[in-house]
Amino acid sequence: MEPATDPFVTPSTGLGSAALRQRPPSSGPTERPALLPGACRDEGGALSAAMFLYGGGAKHAGSDWFGFEGVDGGNSTLVCVSERRGVLAHLERLETQMSRSCKNLEDPPRETAESDLGTKIHKLRCLRDKLRAEVKQRQARIKASTANAEPDQTLEISEQEAVGGKEENMKAILQAYRFTGLSGKRTSRGVCVCISTAFEGNLLDSYFVDLVIQKPLRIHHHSVPVFIPLEEISAKYLQTNIQHFLFCLCEYLNAYAGRKYQADQLQRDFAAFLAGPLQRNSLCNLLSFTYKVEPQGRSFPFCARLLYKDLTTTLPTDVTITYQGTDASSTSWEEQRASHENLFFTKPLYQVFTSFARNGERLDMSLVS
Amino acid sequence: MDETVAEFIKRTILKIPMTEMMTILKAWDFLPENQLQTVNFRQRKESLVQDLVLLCESKRASLRDAALLDIIYTQFHQHQKVWDVFQMSKEPGEDVDLFDMERFKSSFEKILRRALKNVTVSFRDAEENAVWIRIAWGTQYRKPNQYKPVYVVYYSQTPYAFTSFCHLKSNTPLLSQALTVASNHHKIVKMDLRSRYLDSLKAIVFKQYNQKFETHNSTMPLQETLELDMHMDSRIIHENKIEKERVQRVTQETFGDYPQPRLEFAQYKLETKFRSDFHGGILAERKEPLRCLIKFSSPHLLEALKSLAPAGIADAPLSPLLTCIPNKGMNYFKIRDK
Repeated sequence: MEPATDPFVTPSTGLGSAALRQRPPSSGPTERPALLPGACRDEGGALSAAMFLYGGGAKHAGSDWFGFEGVDGGNSTLVCVSERRGVLAHLERLETQMSRSCKNLEDPPRETAESDLGTKIHKLRCLRDKLRAEVKQRQARIKASTANAEPDQTLEISEQEAVGGKEENMKAILQAYRFTGLSGKRTSRGVCVCISTAFEGNLLDSYFVDLVIQKPLRIHHHSVPVFIPLEEISAKYLQTNIQHFLFCLCEYLNAYAGRKYQADQLQRDFAAFLAGPLQRNSLCNLLSFTYKVEPQGRSFPFCARLLYKDLTTTLPTDVTITYQGTDASSTSWEEQRASHENLFFTKPLYQVFTSFARNGERLDMSLVS
Repeated sequence: MDETVAEFIKRTILKIPMTEMMTILKAWDFLPENQLQTVNFRQRKESLVQDLVLLCESKRASLRDAALLDIIYTQFHQHQKVWDVFQMSKEPGEDVDLFDMERFKSSFEKILRRALKNVTVSFRDAEENAVWIRIAWGTQYRKPNQYKPVYVVYYSQTPYAFTSFCHLKSNTPLLSQALTVASNHHKIVKMDLRSRYLDSLKAIVFKQYNQKFETHNSTMPLQETLELDMHMDSRIIHENKIEKERVQRVTQETFGDYPQPRLEFAQYKLETKFRSDFHGGILAERKEPLRCLIKFSSPHLLEALKSLAPAGIADAPLSPLLTCIPNKGMNYFKIRDK
């Protein structure tokens, strides 16, 4: 009951010595204000646990005023502090009263609540078991029904797969058609023809001609090189015999691709045999180069000039080999020259140079053995 | 080394931007690698050029080497020149063209020299069987002017030659004759086609600008459905969706899906009578044709024309006078009354 133990209040008996916040003497209420209902004086009334205390200037000298926040919050009253002791004691009494009443309230409901909860748990458990059993039943029923329905579904799937497989097959066949050399695809305005060139089993470039099917058949656009005489061929055959037009174009393009392939291969794979750069033109129908029979040989080089006057062939129509060595008149070199000419006439370039390489090996072997 | 040659080399090297210096010198292949290593490429350009010219002098660079450097510089800076196109033709039923590059070069030079003593002709082979020719013209009494050369680019066994714009028009007939005879053709005609972009001119005359073809191998359909932007807010409604789709379809049919060749202008010279709906206007009912020149300019003319209708600036389809440019290979038109 010692007010000194109260953390909110510091005991004091005079003005000005309280540690509380003190409202300075105001011109406000000069008389003891009327207490609002529910407020407390030193006697009676419950207090909220949170109290906001402030001191106030008082008419009553020697006493500090305190304001309390009521339970309903906001109402504050001023109580004379001179009856402080009584108030604090009262508070303590109220506190013990409350704790006692709480205990009374708790005990009986606890027991009833416990039993209530227990029954509730029991009920819920029963419900859960029931629902589980029902779920199991339903699942079993579904399985039974699907087992009956499965044969039908598998039949549908296999049909679909068969159709899909056939479609894939057809697409693959259409794609593979380009290996025949001449294939096409329908377009909105006509047909797009694809000419796939090849030489000696090597697949080379593809060229396209997009045809518009109208009364005068015409070419919409194409990827044929400008030095292939497409205008000539189309002027001759496009309107009258489209098959001939396509075959003729195929011939020209395949021959060009073959000649180009031979020239590229010579420059790339047999560069060791060439004594100088390979001269060529767009159509690859004139090749001029100097070559040696042995790459490291000390022999003089031969000069070759190959003309392909027939644009539909991959073998030259004219071959001129000259030998520039000092012993040009000797028969052995003349024989070699003639045999080379024959080789160039009859075999593609890479075969000619492969045979040179093989002859060179044979010579080496003979020297060794 | 001649003073004029030294000056010419110096001015040519000065033109080269520093970023390209090494590349161009290596392509020239006149100064060997080890000599180039000794030069300090970080110094000021003027001093660098002086060092390089001294090296060239020590190697006795000739006019031929200097001309070759000039060709290489122009090859790297093609867009600085405006290119014309010439079309040659043969008599029908001629023998197969057995084009020999060496014979072409010697024949070309011989024809020029026969007519004009003072001329410098240089050649440089380029990719795909093409040759770049540089011609510096002089007169009967004056040496060739190395600072105003003409360039010719010719692809063997084709009927087209590309020439850079020449201020001296008087030498054009001689050049045309040399080209025609050396390449086994009979006639030559200048096309109404001009542009800075040599690649685009080549694409137009060789018909290489549309290279999309439908095949069974392509996984994506060529004609992709043209959807208006479906990611737009659903609160936005396209009021004239049908019209927009029609415009897109017509534009695609006319211009295709491929990148357009690059031209800078199209010029229309009109010599037609003025036609108007209003009677009694100032220009109406005149007997003489109205002469006017209309020029469309753009950094990329064909792409600009392609975007006119989708942007709503013009109606689709566009006038065939505009859309026929790559097909006909012309961007200079003369329009007269029929």
